[in-house]
Amino acid sequence: MLELRAATKTYDDGHPVHALRETSLTVEEGDYVAITGASGSGKSTLLNLLGLLDVPTTGSYRVLGLPAHELAESHRGAVRGQVFGFIFQNFHLLNGRSALENVELGMLYGPYNRRERRRRAWETVERLGLAHRALADPRRMSGGERQRVAVARAVAGRPRVLFCDEPTGNLDSANTATVLDTLRGLNEEGLTVVVVTHDPGVAAEGRRRIEVSDGTVTEVEVPA
Amino acid sequence: MSPSRFRGVDFLHESMIAVVRHPGRSLLTAVGTVLSAAAFVCTLGLSSTLDHQVSSSFDVRRATEVLVRPEQASLDPAWQDGTALARLTGLHGVVAAGARLSLDGDRTVQRSSRAGDTEIRTRIIGADSGALRVMSPSLTAGRYFDGFIPGQAERVVMLPRSLARELGITRTQVAVFIGAESYTVIGIYDDVARRPEALQAILMPLLSAEELRQPGGEDTRDVVIETQPGAAQLIGGQAALAMLPTEPQALRAVAPPDPRLLRQEIEGNVARSSLLISVIALVIGAVSIANATTAGIAARTQEIGLRRAVGARRRHVFVQLLGETTTLGLLGGVLGAFLGVCLTLGISLANRWVPVIDLRTALLASGICAGAGLLAGFVPAIRALRIQPVAALQR
Ligand SMILES: Nc1ncnc2c1ncn2[C@@H]1O[C@H](COP(=O)(O)OP(=O)(O)OP(=O)(O)O)[C@@H](O)[C@H]1O
Ligand SMILES: [Mg+2]
Repeated sequence: MLELRAATKTYDDGHPVHALRETSLTVEEGDYVAITGASGSGKSTLLNLLGLLDVPTTGSYRVLGLPAHELAESHRGAVRGQVFGFIFQNFHLLNGRSALENVELGMLYGPYNRRERRRRAWETVERLGLAHRALADPRRMSGGERQRVAVARAVAGRPRVLFCDEPTGNLDSANTATVLDTLRGLNEEGLTVVVVTHDPGVAAEGRRRIEVSDGTVTEVEVPA
Repeated sequence: MSPSRFRGVDFLHESMIAVVRHPGRSLLTAVGTVLSAAAFVCTLGLSSTLDHQVSSSFDVRRATEVLVRPEQASLDPAWQDGTALARLTGLHGVVAAGARLSLDGDRTVQRSSRAGDTEIRTRIIGADSGALRVMSPSLTAGRYFDGFIPGQAERVVMLPRSLARELGITRTQVAVFIGAESYTVIGIYDDVARRPEALQAILMPLLSAEELRQPGGEDTRDVVIETQPGAAQLIGGQAALAMLPTEPQALRAVAPPDPRLLRQEIEGNVARSSLLISVIALVIGAVSIANATTAGIAARTQEIGLRRAVGARRRHVFVQLLGETTTLGLLGGVLGAFLGVCLTLGISLANRWVPVIDLRTALLASGICAGAGLLAGFVPAIRALRIQPVAALQR
């Protein structure tokens, strides 16, 4: 489903930083992949390439068989919006909009009209146990609630791949458990999940384990 | 998978939300347009109010007045005789007309012929009954001197109240002496409808004034005409020919400037200067929107990155920012226009003027501000094109 071939990423401002050395990685439909590694090792860089948020310096990338590195930006945008879902490290909810509106925003540029977006947003918010907070402003929500809004925004449009960067980074253990349950449930329904994490407990959820160290990617065998 | 789209209703909704859910940010951004729209509506409103004030207080009586004078003082006085005046009053648009004779120099006037009594020096104007009617002195006592036997020089005068007071005269039917001759005061007046010089002179019948002429004196003769409203210009053009068909160029008719022309001139001047003020204010308003929104882009990098991450194309972000600044400009314009109307009303009421506001200027101000907002949006929108979706992930 996702196929990265001999990709590298070099940031060059002044002197070059090899954030990602030559990497090949394939993610199959329904996979649950955990990416771990030290801070600054290149985990977010790898996730950005996989999520079409950034382009590799060299190498190629195919999504659903499409040559993503050759696609026009408009198509890449459509893939991001309709095939992928993102949960960001710091939630990135918009203030001044209710939780429900934040969830709807995830589908704004997709194929659904307003009524359909609202229906799906409600459904997802209810499913994540947020119905009572649906009209609240994110500024007045707890960290756990905000994280669940971020999850709802990522999955309400029924993406096929979910990318998460430290989805539990700011949560206590109870909220972490809720988020992990949600991710596991979605994965069992067929959603492909790619999670970047520091937390060994979160990493243990993955059925595949990718270790990034100083820009080098290695797959670690997970005992069954 | 369909291409990313940004529907019209969604565009409007997003623009609206971005503006109304951040009232503080919006107000700061739009304050320039609020002020400029207020200035625009207020200056135009005040200028039309003032203009209305000017034209309603414009002397409507002066606008119905024509004065005919000979080009040469030596012209035969027959030019203002009864038949000439009859031809003149026959013109359509003439209400009244009459001959006058203003004696050269000031004459001494006294209460009695005794030496040492209060004496004043003043001009003397002789007027026939037509001229008296044209001047229309407002009487405070007594009556006009028309109705006497025509052709006879009655020894009567009318005094302006200021002169009467100087002479110590408070009632009519008393005598005054002009030189050695005695005249009866038959009327006292405090204002005239036309020819204000009559407020500084003694009025007497034309024939009586003829008797007071002195050899070698440069007396002036004229004919005053009252016209129907708006006919002064027309009569001014016809009077000379009507009075002296054989030699019209010997006479000169003076009509006051057309009040409508005068008004247009005032209007033009005021409108030009207020328009200039408003245009300057608008430019400042547009620059302030561009400035504040561009400054706000830095704070919104993550939001824009997020939009790109959930599928927005560059052009979607671009039009959204234009939509936001246009909405801001429009709302700022509407608010400012409202303030401008209120300000005009307030200033007018405080000055007891009748407010005259063309509401189209309020619409125009709102429209122009929306346009200024649209233009101003290009700066931040172009800036935002550079923001990559990866920005959403950065802290
Ligand atoms: N935009 C950029 N420009 C220059 N260097 C960058 C940029 N983004 C990341 N880097 C560098 O690339 C390297 C990898 O960064 P990356 O964000 O992928 O690390 P990470 O593993 O996600 O770290 P963390 O666990 O702290 O999030 C780091 O050395 C970082 O400084
Ligand atoms: Mg990271």
